Amino acid sequence: MIEIDHVSQIFRTSGRQAHLALSDISLTIEDGAFVSILGPSGCGKSTLLYIVGGFVSPTEGVARVKGRAITGPGPDRGPVFQEFALFPWKTVLGNVMYGPRQQGVKAAEADAQSRRLIEMVGLKGFENFYPKELSGGMKQRVALARTLAYHPAVLLMDEPFGALDAHTRTRLQNDLLNIWERDRKTVLFVTHSVDEAVFLSDKVVVMTRAPGRIKQIVDIELPRPRRRAELLLDPRYQKYVVEIERMIDDTSEDGLRP
Amino acid sequence: MMARVLSRLAPLLACLGLLAIWQAGSLMLNTESFPTAIEAVRAVPSILGDRESVINILDSLRRMAIAFAAALLFAIPLGLMMGRSRLVASFFNPLLMITYPVPKAALMPIIMLWLGVGDLAKMLVIFLGVSLPVIYHSFQGAKAVEEKMLWSGAAMGLSAPQRMIRIVLPAALPEILTGCRTGLVLALITMVTSEMIARQSGAGNILFNALDMGQYDTVYAMIIIIGAMGIGLDAAFEKLRSRLVRWSEPGFDIPLSFA
Repeated sequence: MIEIDHVSQIFRTSGRQAHLALSDISLTIEDGAFVSILGPSGCGKSTLLYIVGGFVSPTEGVARVKGRAITGPGPDRGPVFQEFALFPWKTVLGNVMYGPRQQGVKAAEADAQSRRLIEMVGLKGFENFYPKELSGGMKQRVALARTLAYHPAVLLMDEPFGALDAHTRTRLQNDLLNIWERDRKTVLFVTHSVDEAVFLSDKVVVMTRAPGRIKQIVDIELPRPRRRAELLLDPRYQKYVVEIERMIDDTSEDGLRP
Repeated sequence: MMARVLSRLAPLLACLGLLAIWQAGSLMLNTESFPTAIEAVRAVPSILGDRESVINILDSLRRMAIAFAAALLFAIPLGLMMGRSRLVASFFNPLLMITYPVPKAALMPIIMLWLGVGDLAKMLVIFLGVSLPVIYHSFQGAKAVEEKMLWSGAAMGLSAPQRMIRIVLPAALPEILTGCRTGLVLALITMVTSEMIARQSGAGNILFNALDMGQYDTVYAMIIIIGAMGIGLDAAFEKLRSRLVRWSEPGFDIPLSFA
């Protein structure tokens, strides 16, 4: 379980201006839940994810994982970034093996596990390619496999499909759901796409424009496993999308008021 | 096929072209202090056949190799730390800015007062000459390392020193090696100039002794030898570099069309 307890984040910008990125956020994420954080750009949703990752420490408040305050990054929380952040000097296999090897898994075992994971994300045959030789979608598949390889209990996904074209994005969403439905890790998924959030999540946390506050939490009660083609025709799905889009429109207008 | 043969031969043709211009220029000027290319090239074997000269040249190379290696061991870690720590950078950056434009050979007389005219003084000058570009490029390389790559490493359990050696160093390697290549050329230049000032032994010493004695063919032959050493070292280094950073080479990056 992840608890975010009255967390605020203030950034000092140049010229000594203080920018309030997150304002008094409290949120609880149950184990095994797929939770999306949705909001307009600049609402601090990625910052919230970085706080859970331990990459950024909150100015006020505390975030806990399994009851313990987060003080830094750890292999129990695996990030997947929009920028992929692969190690370019390592091959696909080298990247995926990196985490397990760091955790002390024997080379032969890490090799076998990593090859299985690479196959699972659909990249069999590309084990010896370097990241530079891969397309964006393939890179993100490698990044996902690299993070899954060290078995984090929580996946932290920071707009992972934001840099991809629509077609690739859809394919990766489907594959992510398939993978997730197998082992039901806790997923915290940051996005600005309403469709994506509704399609993937159990819960969508809608945030307001800066300073980021939680506007509303929407439980998505759609059956699983979800099939995209069925869902798009499902009136319940459409209702969620419209409902959440309206919320976002409201928050945008809030932001525009002086 | 023809184009490939031609591009293979291009460096050779360039050298021959340069020698031809030299030959023509020297015939036109017709002064004793500017021997023709043919005369200079003819003097090369007599230098390389002379035991004393070969020992001198090898001595130069030995000093250069030691100073170059020491400079890398000092400059790469310093540059990487500057790139990752604002404190370290703000301390060393001004020092770097002051020392960068100073011609290192200009320090030679002062260094000779401290360390004498022997190996140590010359190696220190080469060390300084090599260090600065290597620090600078390591600094730039480390600064450009993507934060999220380091975060990914931290999540896998890499400690700060481990991230430095296992993420910052390889990620910055292409940039570091660019600095090393500049450093290598500077090492050769400072090697010769150091021997020009502290005349005792070495390739530079042969050159300037010959100049004093008016043996101009030897002077120019030495220039050819030093130039050839430069080309050889650079080519060898380039071979090593392209092997080490094959993963970052351009022309390598034709992405596959696959989701």
